[in-house]
Amino acid sequence: MATMSIDAPGDRSGPRMMRLYLTSGLGLAGVLMLAGLSMRMVQAGWLHLGTLDFYSLLTLHGAGMITALLLCGMGGIWYLVRRETPMNAALGYWTYGLILAGVVLVLIATMVGKFATAWTFLYPLPFVNPVWPWWSTGAFLIGIMLITAGWTVWSLQILEALLRTYGGLRGALAWDVVFHPAAFKASGRKAPPAQMLPALVISFDGLFMSSAGMLLGAALLVHWVDPTVPLDPLWAKNLTYFFGHDIANFIIYLLLAFVYVGLPRYTNREWKTSAVFAIGWWGTLLFLLIAYFHHLYMDFAQPVGVQYVGEFASYFSAIPVAVVTVYGGLLLVWRSGIRWSLGSIFMYAGMAGWIVGGVGGLLDSSVPFNVRFHNTLWVPAHFHNYLLGASLFFALGWVFHRVEERGGRSSIATRWLVGATVFGGAALFIASFYVAGAAGVPRRYSIEPDPGPLLARTGSIGAIVLLCGLIVALVEGLRLWRAGQRAGQRAGQRAGEPAERGSLR
Amino acid sequence: MQSRILVSYSVLAAAVLAVFLVVALASRGPVEAQAAVQARGYAIRRWWFLLLVAVFAVGFAVTIPFFPYGKAQAAGEPAHVPVTARQFSFDDLPGVIPLGAHVVFDVTAADVNHGFAVYDPHEALIGQVQAMPGYVNHLELTFDEPGQYTVRCLEYCGLGHPVMQAKFEVR
Repeated sequence: MATMSIDAPGDRSGPRMMRLYLTSGLGLAGVLMLAGLSMRMVQAGWLHLGTLDFYSLLTLHGAGMITALLLCGMGGIWYLVRRETPMNAALGYWTYGLILAGVVLVLIATMVGKFATAWTFLYPLPFVNPVWPWWSTGAFLIGIMLITAGWTVWSLQILEALLRTYGGLRGALAWDVVFHPAAFKASGRKAPPAQMLPALVISFDGLFMSSAGMLLGAALLVHWVDPTVPLDPLWAKNLTYFFGHDIANFIIYLLLAFVYVGLPRYTNREWKTSAVFAIGWWGTLLFLLIAYFHHLYMDFAQPVGVQYVGEFASYFSAIPVAVVTVYGGLLLVWRSGIRWSLGSIFMYAGMAGWIVGGVGGLLDSSVPFNVRFHNTLWVPAHFHNYLLGASLFFALGWVFHRVEERGGRSSIATRWLVGATVFGGAALFIASFYVAGAAGVPRRYSIEPDPGPLLARTGSIGAIVLLCGLIVALVEGLRLWRAGQRAGQRAGQRAGEPAERGSLR
Repeated sequence: MQSRILVSYSVLAAAVLAVFLVVALASRGPVEAQAAVQARGYAIRRWWFLLLVAVFAVGFAVTIPFFPYGKAQAAGEPAHVPVTARQFSFDDLPGVIPLGAHVVFDVTAADVNHGFAVYDPHEALIGQVQAMPGYVNHLELTFDEPGQYTVRCLEYCGLGHPVMQAKFEVR
């Protein structure tokens, strides 16, 4: 087991960029989790918010949480790609600046302008009888477009770096590892490390997603300036969900790169880019783009053929996850003598959360079940399961991996305390959505019909426990970070040079 | 139906968590070389892959007959009930639907996207479509149980979204 940091020697930009993105993303997520708790407490009847305040907060919460977790994944991938190949740091900061400007505009539009169409801003809702000022619609749309523009720059930079380093798409997709393994081995070339596959697939698919988002944004802006220009609602809905489903779905695949790097370090095993692994990612590349049709099952006017495609792609997008990544992760841990610490626990639990959330999503992506679950609280159950119970855990796992490198690991009591409160609270919070969805409680209701309020109370308690656990985790993270700083200073004083990092095993 | 799905989901979720727990506990046992674990694991993985493909392929085939599209045309001579959703009401919805009626709701929207979801007298959601401006969606339902049914909007449509509902009686 290597004991050194995984930072590329002499590279300060990579870790710095990752810290900037990760701290911004997690900070934003933390604030917006409080907003989420407030809304659940309103539904529980424990807190009063005006209807407009509720829905502008809902709009901010949805758009903001996706952006927050996206920032974590983008910074992580930037850092991991930078370890392999040179990349222009200025471009990374420009990307961050574009996203930050977008976030500020969305904040102003929702909190000052009270823009309240939910993050979906389904045409023509932003323009019909709005109670918010005209400017806030434009500010929100431009804000989302700036975030999308930042994503586009990021995708182009990552894609360029990977294609340059691995000899085009063929090399980056490990084509020869699959079809010419003997010749590939004999050539002495190396396949891209495992974490480069999600980087490639998501930056490649990300360009399709951002194109759809920018096209939709431009069309809505034209309508905003000149309302006599009509748009087709079904066309707009397709673009909205192509953009929205993909951007939300990409998050976990980005953050997965942390697990591909982190888990082998805890288990002292290798996560290799094998032929099966590469083929799995090819499947992800294809199915991720076409699974979004499952958002339009209840639009019977949609051509029936794409409803079949939606269900098929949704089912088969699960196979690479279940066969390659999560199964591979379990094999990595099996009888490995893994060192359990907060970093490895969060990463491991995130994989379990991903599968559990995926099962909920697969049920909802089955047309006959979707007739019963569409736009009930089953849908937020699935994506909270996926974003909170997997994506956020992957990000936290990585943060702890970083601080544990230098600061050691937490006591057993602390691990149990954090684990019980974070996982227990999250499970209670998410279960309240699933049960309410099965009971037919509609989503996006500020006042819910029974049994919504009762379940909202249960969910609020879960969220409070979860937030308490995250605060304990934050304090522990800071303690480990400071311990690492002190250890570094001591080692530096002894050796007159930067400190060695502690082992993860 | 929904409660059965919830139970199935809970069982599957518990099975997934059990597998993770078993693997986590096994990590405390004797440490094995990765190559040895992979040799066994990859043999199992082939079957796991085939099993999943089979499950999904069968699942896909089995669900197709239950797709709701085109049922309105195939189900004989239903009574068509036009409904227009608008912020924040359902226009033209009749107050009474005869018991045993086979109905196709022809649903559209006058302003923004809405949902049209029918809840039975036990508050179970029995069917839904989207209501879209410029398009007509068809929801086919047969009403074999008397009582008061509720229609709710399930697509966020503005500040009145949570109060957008209507009721009709089946008798």
